[in-house]
Amino acid sequence: MEFYYGLAQTIGIHTLLGLSAYVILLTGQMSMAQAAFYAIGAYASGMLTVLWGWHIVPSLFAGAGLGALIAGLVGFPALRVKGLMLVIATLAFGEGIRLFFFNFDYQVQKGNIRVGPLGGEGFRQIRYFPENGWTSGEVMVFVWVFVVLVMALVWWLDRSRYGTVLRAVGDDELAAQSVGINLTATKVSAMTVGGAIAGLAGGLYAHYTTHIEHLAFGVVQSIFALAYPIIGGLSSVFGTLAAVIFVQGFLVEGLRDLGDWRNLLFGALIIVAMVVRPSGFLDAKMLSRFKRASRKGGASA
Amino acid sequence: MFDFLQAVVDGILFGTTYSLIGIGFTLVFGVMHKINMSYAAVSIGAAYAGLLAGSLIPGSSAWVVFAFALAFGGLFGYLVYLICFHLIPIRNENATLMSTVGMLLLADELVSHFTTGSPQAYPAMVEAENLRLGELSLRPDLIVVFIVSVICTAILLALLYRTRLGLATRAVAQQPVAAQLCGIRVVRVNAITFVVTGLLGGIAGALVCSAVGTLSILITGPLTVKGLIVTVIGGLGSVPGAIVAGLMIGGLENLFQHFRGVTERDLYVMLLLFAFLIFRPGGIFARGRGRD
Repeated sequence: MEFYYGLAQTIGIHTLLGLSAYVILLTGQMSMAQAAFYAIGAYASGMLTVLWGWHIVPSLFAGAGLGALIAGLVGFPALRVKGLMLVIATLAFGEGIRLFFFNFDYQVQKGNIRVGPLGGEGFRQIRYFPENGWTSGEVMVFVWVFVVLVMALVWWLDRSRYGTVLRAVGDDELAAQSVGINLTATKVSAMTVGGAIAGLAGGLYAHYTTHIEHLAFGVVQSIFALAYPIIGGLSSVFGTLAAVIFVQGFLVEGLRDLGDWRNLLFGALIIVAMVVRPSGFLDAKMLSRFKRASRKGGASA
Repeated sequence: MFDFLQAVVDGILFGTTYSLIGIGFTLVFGVMHKINMSYAAVSIGAAYAGLLAGSLIPGSSAWVVFAFALAFGGLFGYLVYLICFHLIPIRNENATLMSTVGMLLLADELVSHFTTGSPQAYPAMVEAENLRLGELSLRPDLIVVFIVSVICTAILLALLYRTRLGLATRAVAQQPVAAQLCGIRVVRVNAITFVVTGLLGGIAGALVCSAVGTLSILITGPLTVKGLIVTVIGGLGSVPGAIVAGLMIGGLENLFQHFRGVTERDLYVMLLLFAFLIFRPGGIFARGRGRD
């Protein structure tokens, strides 16, 4: 049972990571820095609970807030460049943040051990859950409360006026600008929302694994974050969830027996998915088919 | 003082490989307005395929390995084009970028699978004493890397600016629709661009591996990031920019390492990139705002 709790937590955290990229992708931007905001959230909230003894909920929000702040700050200079330049700029920023944590030492004596981030060795002893006697079932529920809340929020955002603005910018910047949409405000706010979600995911990740190090926040993690919404499709938040379940549940856990062939499959799967369904599993056509089916089901019942 | 000069000189010599990778990224961007994220990984893959093929021929020299790396580079370049760009609707930005990212992971994992994750010894092209230039000492293999890079760049520039194919390539880069109306087969030009950058990548991969002395997938990550940084600092689509930026990054990187240590080195390279993004987003040779 422990195994399934762990898997559910991983799926939850990766769903948040995917959603953080989803919001930014709606504006047509591709951010390769999601792992950086994830790292910032992880280190910030881990330090708050371990070094300063905060409760977990405020420290998670603080991590999310810091992620949002940094993402907003990155948003401004990065918006001088568009499209593919932004991909490279955010990629380099993500690597920069990872290297920052690689060189980041801040240790404090606690009892008879020293705790806190220590450069390349990472940040051990983020033991909030075990110290407070949380069972893994409770931790899983805790993680999923956040996942459901964020998913609901993004789903609602998507249907609100703000979501329409995001998609308008994503579809055609020039047209959006000519109907009076403020491009900078829209893009920076999308980056900020994405940074907040990634920061929250990082905080949850830090407390779930209890040990974080810079290697966990490399380019590959950013690629994963982007791959979920793109493979799943940008028509609905459920596409991202489906892609995470497929990748983490089926590819990573389900195919463990294949050993290192599994990693080969991941790259190949992305390529095949893009060749077969360039707009994602759950594209607009598929979604409307689902809607029609559910409406028919409702009418006959 | 001489330590400092030595670091810069070594860096500039090694920087030629960054230039080659940067040219590959920038050419594909110039012609198709796409980024082939898999480029550095596939280049290392070609270098590895060259090593394997070279080991099949007993007693073959490093140059045979290099020739094979070149050939495999071209072949892999064409395959990447076919899989990631030909089969996917070109207008779908996300899908084409993501498929090259998938290719990056696939190339990485294939090399790691066949080498079982352990670094492979890569042959050096020359084995000689270090050249001495006053107080400075120059590694001869790095000088060969430098010379081969310069030759490749010269051939490439001649191809771009002296042949009909180069003319067609530049025409497609400038205005694909107009080029098509003039009877240039855009699809073919795109495919050839990938083969040419692939050949370049094979050479670059082999040069990097022989300069480092080993072939390992640990190289691909930094090489991808550095190559992309070089591309941006040089200005997307600018070949001369990529050359200068590659040498510059190589030199500065060693300078940062000299003063701040190896763990902080890349941090300053990233800061340099950000300085460029803020003050000169068009790259070194930016000429105001061009066609978009």
